[in-house]
Amino acid sequence: MRFLQRFNDQQLRQAGGDGDPGSADLLQQFRSQGDRLLAAGDEAIQRALAGSNSEAFLRAGRQQGGQ
Amino acid sequence: MSRRFLASNGGCAYIDIDHVEICLLEVISAFDHVAAWHAMLRIVRTSLDNANQGRRRDNRIQVLVNNSDGQGNSYGSHLNFMIGRRTFDNIFWRKAHYLQFLASFQVSSILLTAQGKVGAENGRPSTPYQLSQRADFFETLQGIQTTYNRPLINARDEALCGRRGFDDPSAPARLHVIFFDSALAHGSAFFRVGPMQLILTLLELGLVNSRLILDDPLAALQCYSHDPTLKARAELISGVRLTALELQSAYLEEVKRHAARGVFEGIVPRADEIVALWEDTLIKFANDDLMALAPRLDWVMKLMAIERALERHPDLDWDSAEIKVIDHMYSSLDNDGLYWAYESSGFAEQLVTPERIGHFTANPPADTRAWTRAMLLRRADPDSIVSVDWDTITFKLRGRYSWPTYRTFDLADPLSFTWAEAHPIFDNSLDIAGLLDGLKSLSAGKSRSFDVLTPDDALTPNDVLAAS
Repeated sequence: MRFLQRFNDQQLRQAGGDGDPGSADLLQQFRSQGDRLLAAGDEAIQRALAGSNSEAFLRAGRQQGGQ
Repeated sequence: MSRRFLASNGGCAYIDIDHVEICLLEVISAFDHVAAWHAMLRIVRTSLDNANQGRRRDNRIQVLVNNSDGQGNSYGSHLNFMIGRRTFDNIFWRKAHYLQFLASFQVSSILLTAQGKVGAENGRPSTPYQLSQRADFFETLQGIQTTYNRPLINARDEALCGRRGFDDPSAPARLHVIFFDSALAHGSAFFRVGPMQLILTLLELGLVNSRLILDDPLAALQCYSHDPTLKARAELISGVRLTALELQSAYLEEVKRHAARGVFEGIVPRADEIVALWEDTLIKFANDDLMALAPRLDWVMKLMAIERALERHPDLDWDSAEIKVIDHMYSSLDNDGLYWAYESSGFAEQLVTPERIGHFTANPPADTRAWTRAMLLRRADPDSIVSVDWDTITFKLRGRYSWPTYRTFDLADPLSFTWAEAHPIFDNSLDIAGLLDGLKSLSAGKSRSFDVLTPDDALTPNDVLAAS
């Protein structure tokens, strides 16, 4: 499932369907820009995924006493 | 560790069993709430950095700003709003539709405030991803409890505003809000407070539109939270079925209608900016423009991060432990935290400046009692401070013949003891005893009235105070 992909594709279709190719281009441009900025998080994602043992990390996060 | 108030900004921080608790200094505007919240996060991040110095990479302490551990345990991110005693009583004891109006608003507001979570807990139906971290744990409409059978609207009745009695209708009260998720994105943090200030003002004014009330707010919360496509509908008492977006839009229209008559002026700071950002965000949702909302709202930003990870790692799916790790690491205060990566890249939208955040790491707000609390903590010999609470500080002073005397100073009114009122006294007092004498004169004869407003006298000062 790709929630955001669906939203974005739908938006691109809508923008392209209004007869103004410029708006679709603009939207694609924004999306590319967003992608570039999001790429900054990829390294952090890689670090999170490179953790030695995800299951152990999750178990260690067990909390107690919170409201 | 016992609660420790900070001389730097008047907030407090401590470790409770195995988690850090940070309590914000009292602020008045929603923008200052965001700045103060991020200031406290910055203080914890600095402490965390210090604690992690010299630790191996695989043995670092992690502090996560989330609300559930994925193993069935939830913990809140509470907010406190100062309201009138009569409004408090109306919500909990006199007018059921006030409670439902507030609950219905909060439930639909997860669209703006939620942090996002992989999976479900507490016996709820499974889902790959849901909006709210807390939704699975709410089981009743209202109650005083916070650790079990959690209520949407918490009825804890402890004003932290001095000793004025529960039977004084003009006394202040505190609405203890346990509903919202922790927020990292500025927009999410802002929407936990700004729109609430407007809605609470409507309650103070008795402007409650019962056509916006959900038939079953608890069921609606499940329904809304478990559907990130935002198509889910919940039934109002009128029988109309609305999405969370449609219901939020209806609340916004209600607020705009009253804003046009000026009812928020003098009550909610920068109300027009709150309305504008709220409206802009709902319009973007209506246009399915989630790319534009990812920098503003946590649940969208986190979803985007996870979907990127799934694209790049086809071996993973929503049930993979690694994806849950990303969910947790989004909110890590360590440098590995995903949110901070997006913030430093310029992706995360900033509603307040780094300078304003920096200001609140080292300074109290000038416009609430937090200013005097911080200044007293700075001025007093630490050994002379016996106890500190939100509305009192007790000092042990040297009396005649060196016998100790104890003086408890009341900071009952959160909107008094501001910089403007108190700084001349601090400038002119040499010792703590003289200071307390001078400050006492400030409160002499003052007793702020929190009588319920009517739409016609909405300009009566009756600020809604936000802290957490």
